[in-house]
Amino acid sequence: MSVRVRADEHSAPQPRGRALRAGLGRLRQVLALRGRPRPRLRLLALLGFLGPGLIAANAGNDAGGIATYASDGARYGYGLLWVMIPITVSLVVVQEMAARMGAVTGKGLAELIREQFGVRWSAVASVAFLLTSIGICTSDFVGTGAALGLAGVPAQVSVPLAAIAIWALVVRGSYKVAERIFLAMTIPFLAYPVAAILAHPHWGEVARQSVAPSIHLSSTYILLFIATAGTTITPYMQLYLQSAVVERGIGPERLGAERAEVISGSLFANLIAAFIIIATGATLFLHGRHDVGTAADAARALKPFAGQYAELLFGIGLLGASLLAAAVLPVTGAYVIAEALGYEKGLSRDPREAPVFVGAITVIIAVSALVAMIPGIPVIGLLVGVQIVNGALLPIVLVFIWRLARNRELLGEHRNRRGFDLLAAGTVLWTSTLSLALLVITILQFA
Amino acid sequence: MERETASASPDRAVAPTLHLSMVVPGTLLDRAGEQLGRVDDLIVRLDDRGYPPISGLRVRLAERELFVPADHIAALEFGQVRLAGEHLHMRRFERRPGEVLLRKDVLDRQLINVDGARLVRANDIELAQVDGVWRVIGVDTTLKGALRRLLPRRFGARITTEQFLDWASVEPFVGHVPTLRLRVPHPKLATLHPAQIADLVEAASHSEGEEIIEAVGSDRELEADVFEELDPQHQVEFLHERSDAEAAQVLATMEPDDAADLLDDLDDERRQAVLELLPHVQRRKLRVLLGHDPATAGGLMSPDFLALSAETTVGAALDRVRAAQCPDEALGAVFALDGEGHLSGTASLPALLREPSEKRLVDVAQPVAAQLDVEADFEEVARVMADFNLMVAPVVDEAGRPVGVVTVDDVLEVMLPTGWRRRFGLLGSE
Repeated sequence: MSVRVRADEHSAPQPRGRALRAGLGRLRQVLALRGRPRPRLRLLALLGFLGPGLIAANAGNDAGGIATYASDGARYGYGLLWVMIPITVSLVVVQEMAARMGAVTGKGLAELIREQFGVRWSAVASVAFLLTSIGICTSDFVGTGAALGLAGVPAQVSVPLAAIAIWALVVRGSYKVAERIFLAMTIPFLAYPVAAILAHPHWGEVARQSVAPSIHLSSTYILLFIATAGTTITPYMQLYLQSAVVERGIGPERLGAERAEVISGSLFANLIAAFIIIATGATLFLHGRHDVGTAADAARALKPFAGQYAELLFGIGLLGASLLAAAVLPVTGAYVIAEALGYEKGLSRDPREAPVFVGAITVIIAVSALVAMIPGIPVIGLLVGVQIVNGALLPIVLVFIWRLARNRELLGEHRNRRGFDLLAAGTVLWTSTLSLALLVITILQFA
Repeated sequence: MERETASASPDRAVAPTLHLSMVVPGTLLDRAGEQLGRVDDLIVRLDDRGYPPISGLRVRLAERELFVPADHIAALEFGQVRLAGEHLHMRRFERRPGEVLLRKDVLDRQLINVDGARLVRANDIELAQVDGVWRVIGVDTTLKGALRRLLPRRFGARITTEQFLDWASVEPFVGHVPTLRLRVPHPKLATLHPAQIADLVEAASHSEGEEIIEAVGSDRELEADVFEELDPQHQVEFLHERSDAEAAQVLATMEPDDAADLLDDLDDERRQAVLELLPHVQRRKLRVLLGHDPATAGGLMSPDFLALSAETTVGAALDRVRAAQCPDEALGAVFALDGEGHLSGTASLPALLREPSEKRLVDVAQPVAAQLDVEADFEEVARVMADFNLMVAPVVDEAGRPVGVVTVDDVLEVMLPTGWRRRFGLLGSE
């Protein structure tokens, strides 16, 4: 008798939901009997198509990101809306490279950095990344607490609950389950377009400012411009994306579909960001409320101008965004550690099989949640610290991505080709420059 | 945490070991101790059995990459290599078949630890003189090895490793080495169970997984066994890279129900093409299986079973069991058919063995309450088999004719909780 070890969750049917599966299977059979070529159910195919790209891009719109976008709108109306266009292009270029490398090599980014650039660079990137991931994760637990705080739940209650729920999801669940829940966590982002519509913006003005912006040459404008770029493209998005592409088992033959998923995910995430700018631009900016500290402040500030629903919607959006990022970051940190050091990894592995991977997730979540529960924790100061490390890390990661993605030995026919390679180099250059500029400004401001 | 084998066994006379990271990159000295250039990397021959010998150095001399054969080496030392001999024969470095560069091709990369059937990363490589020749004797997979290379060499040298993975239980991946791409023996893999090999393929990257499958490919039987153990995603992936004829060859050696699952995951065109190339009998069986939804008894069943006329004697039935071609698990029961070919009863193998051989099947068989409709879903299948204590359950079509059997292992596989499916090194030492 043969021993079967199956790690599959796609077609080896599961006990759970089997009635549904059986029903769908029967439907498929009926259709097949009519002689149609193996029908695919459109809706399911579409849902199955969503995955790492959408999650990674949306995890970038975390609590810190929302605060930045809300500040953009509050300070300059639609004046910074145009920034989203070049940033979206850059994000697509960078994310595409990461996804392509994952699909073609079957290895995570941290793994490739270790193999191609040696143990020291790998250690520098990993340590820097761990620091930022704990910092960002903390700010997202603070965001979770703040979002539920709008509903009157104290952070000392909501944060530990959120931490335990996230831990249970990523440690106990399989990759497939975690991915589905991550995808579901992007649904609250749809609150922002609704809030933007409720804010009754002047759509003609929105369109005009997007293509023909009135650029200010003040230091605040430039700072916000740089901060917006910096928050939209962050290292964890590429690290998560590539590792998730690998764990999902996407191979070179599915590269086309994954590329489409990455592009649409990036578009979706940045459209959401644009709607946040529009929502605050149409309300806070017009009414002279130019200063927004955090994402929860933005939600509260919206209430007098756009009604309580806007506050509710902003609160829901913030909650979803914070939870998603607070779940994706520990996972990414664990991928990086396991890949850099050569330990077993994977969301489908249990603690006994992948102790280092699960341990890393646990530590990141525990530390972040504990710090986030400290009453009156200086979120701004924390974010400044994160921004400094991130500002230094992003250029390193981007240069690695670019150099790896054009490596013929590694990617063969899938390497960056001439035109795209130029675009990629340009993207890496300008994004890194912005990132370093932000680093310098941040240090100067708080020195 | 790690289940590495400690291997500083005294009987192998392992002289003081040297860490690769402490030698290269290093200084190249001539006999008199004058500095000649830099040592970039050590070259090792892999096709040798046992510990691979160092066959030469890759050195950098006046901006040129040169090769120094191993017999010129007087000593490998901390941070330097001393050469012997008056006349140095150096020629341009080029890759030769069967050779790898230790630092470029092995260090920092994944290896198979055959002992525990798992993937590890080479944090450092251990060298020693065995029989007067410098050889690779093992791989350091511990954190200490990584830390040693992280620190400046002076401090790193103080980090000692008591444990490393003996080369005897290591298979390196060499798919990325240009001259080795086509010839990858990996003899140590054959000692693993197919399920373990499948686990390794699933944990490895595409090209590494492909390398494992190729290495196993010389043994058709083993290749098919590994294929059966792979998850569908990997099965499809690897079939993707094979010709239709090769795919058919693999499918033909698989159990029909596994083969049907796999065919079901291929796209239409490919499925037809591969089906056409299968032997006639297999093709017919698979066509039947493919007609059923995989989430029902029909999709779960195997088409091989033994059904005899109810008038057959027990002795004759047992003879038929002995002669039957179908897999063991399907022979757990023999089915009795009435005159019209309908299922009239089941007799388990133990029941047959206990009865006198002249009795007829109709007298010993239990009447069939316990049969499954081809449309029955998993719940139904599991309940019927549990209620009637069946190892083998017959599946019947609308007319009540048996078309296949579901065996208990098929059901277990479906019902196994997700977390239990994957146990890395399931059969390995624990």
